[in-house]
Amino acid sequence: MTELARKALLPAGLQDVLPGTAAREAEIREKLMASLAHAGYDRVKTPLVEFEESLLEGAAPELSTQTFRLMDPESRRMMGVRSDMTPQVGRIAATRLVDAPRPLRLSYSGDVLRIKGSHLRPERQFAQVGAELIGVSSAAADTEIVLLALEALDRINVPFVSVDLNLPTLPVRLFDAFGVKGDQREALIEALERRDVAALKGIDGKVTDVLVALLEAAGPAKTALPKLKKLELPLGASDELYRLIDVAERVLASGLDAALTIDPVEMAGFRYQTGVSFTLFAKNVRGEIGRGGRYRAGGASGEAATGMSLYMDSILRGLPDGDAIVRVYLPLGTPQHEARQLRLDGHYTVAALEGAAEAKTEDGARVEARRMGCDYIYLGGQVVPLSA
Amino acid sequence: MSDEKLVLALPKGRILDEVMPLVRSAGIEPEAAFDDPKSRALRFATNHPHIDIIRVRSFDVATFVAFGAAHIGVCGNDVLMEFDYPDIYAPLDLNIGHCRLAVAEPEEMIDGDDPSRWSHVRVATKYPNVTRNHFSKRGVQAECIKLNGAMELAPTLGLCRRIVDLVSTGNTLKANGLREIEHIADVTSRLIVNRAALKTRPTDVQPWIDRFSEVLNAA
Repeated sequence: MTELARKALLPAGLQDVLPGTAAREAEIREKLMASLAHAGYDRVKTPLVEFEESLLEGAAPELSTQTFRLMDPESRRMMGVRSDMTPQVGRIAATRLVDAPRPLRLSYSGDVLRIKGSHLRPERQFAQVGAELIGVSSAAADTEIVLLALEALDRINVPFVSVDLNLPTLPVRLFDAFGVKGDQREALIEALERRDVAALKGIDGKVTDVLVALLEAAGPAKTALPKLKKLELPLGASDELYRLIDVAERVLASGLDAALTIDPVEMAGFRYQTGVSFTLFAKNVRGEIGRGGRYRAGGASGEAATGMSLYMDSILRGLPDGDAIVRVYLPLGTPQHEARQLRLDGHYTVAALEGAAEAKTEDGARVEARRMGCDYIYLGGQVVPLSA
Repeated sequence: MSDEKLVLALPKGRILDEVMPLVRSAGIEPEAAFDDPKSRALRFATNHPHIDIIRVRSFDVATFVAFGAAHIGVCGNDVLMEFDYPDIYAPLDLNIGHCRLAVAEPEEMIDGDDPSRWSHVRVATKYPNVTRNHFSKRGVQAECIKLNGAMELAPTLGLCRRIVDLVSTGNTLKANGLREIEHIADVTSRLIVNRAALKTRPTDVQPWIDRFSEVLNAA
């Protein structure tokens, strides 16, 4: 390994983001955050690292296995590096903002670190942009969060967004209602995860018919809704399914330009959700670009909340490159006040420095301007194209 | 946009002969080059202008589908167990390619061997993840030597004493002086689908799942 290669090698899943891409990511991130702010979501900022016990309180075990730990030499307590910002925002709502009026609308943007990337998203560090709506448990709140995500994605022109509405708690609710336990429960979950109708049918029990019907109903909202409405479920489960149907109809009625599918038995990837949830996809992006749903803010016994987070790495993959910045080269001797005025007028300038490899001639300045990646040059008080 | 192509990934080799009747019954007919052994092509057009077929190794079918490079595929559940990709749905058991994953060891070892006393085994296999999981469930640590074929040679040449491999008739094991001692899983070929493809293009993908399902029920 050469010295240069040794220095360049980063740990798996971590990367340097270079000029162009870094600016693009920041621009997209700010546009998303602006969209959330316009909808009444106030920005908060959480620490990178905090005490492990509060970071992981009430969180799913998966979150714990994804969290890097370090010892705080100061307090000698174990700290965790955030692997998801939602629980942190939940903590803020449950502690410092406990007296703030409800519904509480908060947004955030920041990088998270995970122990392991997934095969579709090998990144271990990536930026999350998200919003949480805390203190309301209504279908209107569920709908607001879905529409909020769609509106934000629309603002940055992600092409062909599609939302999959899910109810990750439904299978478990049904298992409880029908008294399904142990091995049978595991076999059913496995068949559901594979979406294997034949295997489901092969497992005895009343719950099987219901699960098959739910699985067969999954698909585009227009065809799924009539099928789901005909289903008769046990008491607790039917309330949840009606909530899902209600939210789906509200989203459809909003007239937003995105495909809506419903999959009431999808459980994959939901880690702390307690009700109506959703997964966001975009055409030509492998895997999901974000997800959200109902949970309890500040741990299992916390307040009703729903929220969503968008994954910047996946979203950037689905977007065309941004417009390159057009720069104006300022030759040696350009007065400072003129340079300032150009920037105030919205130009991006690159100034020659004393001793730059620039000859005193205009031709020399043009060569240097090209070398510095400029498209224009400031000559005789005018911004002129370099090609001229 | 339904004008984009759907890619169907099929496994090379033995299973392909069993899969093709199903594919044809579902109404997909590949171009002539597909059946031409001299053809070097890897991707084939079909009678459906929006469906292409690719022919790759069984393990690679799962990888192509998991990453969304192919949308539908056929591979054994041995491969699905090995990779455990969360982005693959396996909605149909095609009931072909029957075999099993098993642990085998040399005949002459069996008498003196008490599996309940193992704490560590060294195993030659194409399935290191399945093997490790299988043994760890019984509290045994498995050290896997990854081989890509001819596992049966490993014990006879002293590479290690046990293997985990696909067994269909058991003849290959017998011919190499090995005997099956533990059953890990039954294997059949499955129709698999990329999760995002099913979610974002349900009207393109779901009808094919239904078609294959009808073909299976009619058989």
